Amino acid sequence: MKVFIAAAAFAVIAAFAASIVLSGVQMASYTAFTTSGARVGDPGTNLVGPG
Amino acid sequence: MLALSGLNISFGRILILPLFGADAFATMSAYAKIAHDYLAFPFMLGLVIMFLIWIKDNIPGKLDWQWLKQGGGIVSKGQHPPAKRFNAGQKGIFWIVVIGGVLMSLSGWFMLFPYLPANVTQLQFWTVIHAVIAMLFIAAMLAHIYIGSVGMEGAFDAMGTGEVDLNWAKEHHSLWVEETQAKGQAASGTAPSAVAAE
Repeated sequence: MKVFIAAAAFAVIAAFAASIVLSGVQMASYTAFTTSGARVGDPGTNLVGPG
Repeated sequence: MLALSGLNISFGRILILPLFGADAFATMSAYAKIAHDYLAFPFMLGLVIMFLIWIKDNIPGKLDWQWLKQGGGIVSKGQHPPAKRFNAGQKGIFWIVVIGGVLMSLSGWFMLFPYLPANVTQLQFWTVIHAVIAMLFIAAMLAHIYIGSVGMEGAFDAMGTGEVDLNWAKEHHSLWVEETQAKGQAASGTAPSAVAAE
């Protein structure tokens, strides 16, 4: 049982680590696709769930 | 978690939304999608680790065909076809997990980073692969969970403690017991005692 809980905890920590690494590497789409011709704004709270 | 959040993406709107209502379902689904995307990374790591530690004992052989022909001992009473550390059923699950897991990981990777596939058609292809393999994989895992908990005597304890009774091991994995006793790693003799299962 202890091993299972340790494994589940590791999975959650690894998932967090992945999210931190990816947000450091990737740009938000409204930043990546903004050009001099098209400005794509921050959608803000226009999405369901965490912005 | 991956299975549940994935099933929610496919079927949640039809099955879960009527139960929870629109707002609760929407919030739950948003978080489930995030969990699904990020838990994929430890899944892939676990897949690699499982492959490395267990590939040695999971190569199919002639003995496995004998085991399968006897139905693993489930079909007729009193039969206990011999097996080494992993019987043919366990090897089957290993390869289902490895091959299914690799396909899920590859198709999922293409969906996480959609600029990787060459075009939209390829992305659609990998999405279908992800969905179809997921259904088969989940069905196989449900069967595996059944056998590993209720279906097979001693299986749940074996998983929890990592050990099995020596007599149980002699009945179900006789060749493996012989190998480990020859190496001096297991208790010999007739008294019931614990033997490391994996």
